[in-house]
Amino acid sequence: MPLSNSELETILNDASKRIEGDLVWQEDEDHSPWVEFRADVRSEAGWPLLVRGSYYPYIPALSFVLILKTVGRVYGLDLGKDHHNPQCNQVGEKHKHQWTEHLRDKEAYVPHDITAPPTDPVAVWRQFCCEAKLTHEGALHAPPPARKELF
Amino acid sequence: MSGIGLCREFSDGLAALFDCRPHGDGEYQRIRTPYLYPDGDNIDVFCKAEGDLTLVTDLGETSRWLRMQTAALRRSPKQTALIQDACLTHGVEFYKGMLQARCRQGDNLAAVVCRVAQAALRVADLWFTFRTRSLESVADEVAEFLTERELSFVRGEKLAGRSGRVWTPDFHVRAKLRSSLVYVLSTGSRSAARSVVNHVHTAFFDLNYLVVGPEALRFISLFDDTVDVWSDEDYRLAEQLSTVARWSRPDEFADLLQAA
Repeated sequence: MPLSNSELETILNDASKRIEGDLVWQEDEDHSPWVEFRADVRSEAGWPLLVRGSYYPYIPALSFVLILKTVGRVYGLDLGKDHHNPQCNQVGEKHKHQWTEHLRDKEAYVPHDITAPPTDPVAVWRQFCCEAKLTHEGALHAPPPARKELF
Repeated sequence: MSGIGLCREFSDGLAALFDCRPHGDGEYQRIRTPYLYPDGDNIDVFCKAEGDLTLVTDLGETSRWLRMQTAALRRSPKQTALIQDACLTHGVEFYKGMLQARCRQGDNLAAVVCRVAQAALRVADLWFTFRTRSLESVADEVAEFLTERELSFVRGEKLAGRSGRVWTPDFHVRAKLRSSLVYVLSTGSRSAARSVVNHVHTAFFDLNYLVVGPEALRFISLFDDTVDVWSDEDYRLAEQLSTVARWSRPDEFADLLQAA
């Protein structure tokens, strides 16, 4: 389903977006080294939104994404992974994807509002919520210690 | 430039596209490849010496990347089968969500790294099978499901209502005991949901001459409830003239079609 720039802006600027309850990092379906969480996002307009987070302390890599269920990821922060824009420039290991009609989520930029390091997911989460106008009525738990033995 | 010069320039430049450096506490070497996930993120591959072997792995990044693009809780069996197929092609193992290969004595490490990176590329392309990223609608998924269950159907049949207006239910399904007309109710917007239900309700009301007699059709409203846009009132309205089914429970939908 197509999403226009103005629709996305309306969603991102909707300050009624909220997540209820505490968030706990859990194993994924493959029992991989990554830990994840997901939560529905409520809003007065009833946008079909959810948020997902994933973290791997050993790389370290951290992502928080906002998914519009009818479109897919429309907004996402990645730390610890480099990105190559369609214009052929490398953005760096701290980048944020935002949906546009023209390039969907292929273009990323450096988010200067994110200052916490990937090793501090709780602090990054607070900054992500603030920038995405997302109220979290609860706490994000600290991730469990990294497993070094993978195989 | 001569042909030999072109080849030399290509060979010299190729290695520079792969950035290899110690990672973390030095146990793994990270190789940043020029290959990209569908959103433009670089594919990284990690190598670790284990005795005579070198383990080459994506550390689960590819399957994680896929999960972060979708609202789905789990991969479908079809997507898992496609991952296995990509692994088979490139001689890569899928273990605990990680793509991995062993570089044994005598093997070419660069070739093994390229195999794992190429498998990551192909697995990430499962992204194109996500409904939200393709042109496939939920009705296409339903058609695929009916075919898998060997339920014969006509799609988009035009039927005249008592008013004279022509309606187009999504499916006319013929099962052994009884046939059904199915409307698939799907929208991404809560504000549009009620008008979708109203449209189907009106259609079933206008077509209700088809629910009498020995070959009475069953009317089914199949809600795409994978998107949380429907209210209790929407379901109650649909229940007045049809049987409600939910796409999140496909087996129940199939049972309903096969019931007398």
